[in-house]
Amino acid sequence: MTAIRKKPGAYVETEIDGETVLMRLSDGDFFSLGGTARAIWLAIDDTRSAGEIAALLGDKFEAPASELEADVARFLADLADSGLISA
Amino acid sequence: MVSEANSALSPIALMRREMTAREGAVPGDLDGMAVPLGQHRIAASGFLLRAAEVSFLYRPGEGVVIQRGPGWTAGIEELYLHGSVCAAVACLNGFLPLHASAVVVDDRVVAFTAPAGGGKSTLAAALARLGRPLFCDDTLVTALAPDGSLACLPGHKRMKLWPEAVELTGSAALEQVSADYRKVYVTGNGSDCAEMLPLGALVVLEQGAAPELAPVTGGAKIALLTDDHYCRQFYHAVNGVDGPGQFAFQARLAAATRVFRFARPFDRERFGETTGFLDSALSAMVRG
Repeated sequence: MTAIRKKPGAYVETEIDGETVLMRLSDGDFFSLGGTARAIWLAIDDTRSAGEIAALLGDKFEAPASELEADVARFLADLADSGLISA
Repeated sequence: MVSEANSALSPIALMRREMTAREGAVPGDLDGMAVPLGQHRIAASGFLLRAAEVSFLYRPGEGVVIQRGPGWTAGIEELYLHGSVCAAVACLNGFLPLHASAVVVDDRVVAFTAPAGGGKSTLAAALARLGRPLFCDDTLVTALAPDGSLACLPGHKRMKLWPEAVELTGSAALEQVSADYRKVYVTGNGSDCAEMLPLGALVVLEQGAAPELAPVTGGAKIALLTDDHYCRQFYHAVNGVDGPGQFAFQARLAAATRVFRFARPFDRERFGETTGFLDSALSAMVRG
């Protein structure tokens, strides 16, 4: 399983009103993460794989990991496309 | 940016002193950096704005020098002096200017921001007619506390409206700003208040089908606070803040500021209704 890694040099982040807000340094675009998206972002610790992140969220939201895997994979792909993580 | 000598002055007195203007020669460069006509430059040492009709030089502690040129009109000078020059003077003295008009609600400032023509002044004038003290028109100069909260300086320039807005708001028209500029003054001074007050809420004005007021939170708040024409550009240039630093600054500001969106139709027939709708919500907005 491949560890999902953030690209710390690609963004800066802050917390506001219960959201995680990222600014991509290459173009100044904002990404505002709340709810499940924020939970996924916070679960990325450079060691967990996509499956392990889905399992962690399953525990958190009391849902089977199998139901979350597709959503987690889709969001991770979005983050990778945006240049914020490597997978 | 506030020097020791300045620290003895209140922010209001400091801005008044620094905005003192006189006619004189304005150079074509700022510290050796040429500024072509139609452009401006801001640095820690000062601000230079050059236009064919009128140019301005401001250096901290020395006030504003104005040089009038061919095609000068009082209207053009007024626009520059109380717009970009004032914003630059504020930034160079450690203040943060916001492009906003504002009224006072329960001893707090409620500021309205929108692009030019978005109705900031008209709404503030209408609320003033409903009894809300007018705090400023077009430029709100603020002092930023370490926690990101803002203390507001009362406005320094008289409110001016287009004749159509005078009629719409029922304001009393005083004299026209200048022969070349159709706006008319509707106040005799810059503010109904003499003291600084805390910012209670910032309201972003938008067009919508029906009156709608909604709080803005999180990243949307940061994005809205970032979009403030030249004011923020000047502030970051003076303070030497880079991209990540600007983001941290906006986040600190956003965390300490209540922000709302107010959408309403641009319909003269419904202006009284939409203004009353907002007026009835103002006290709750600043109480949080």
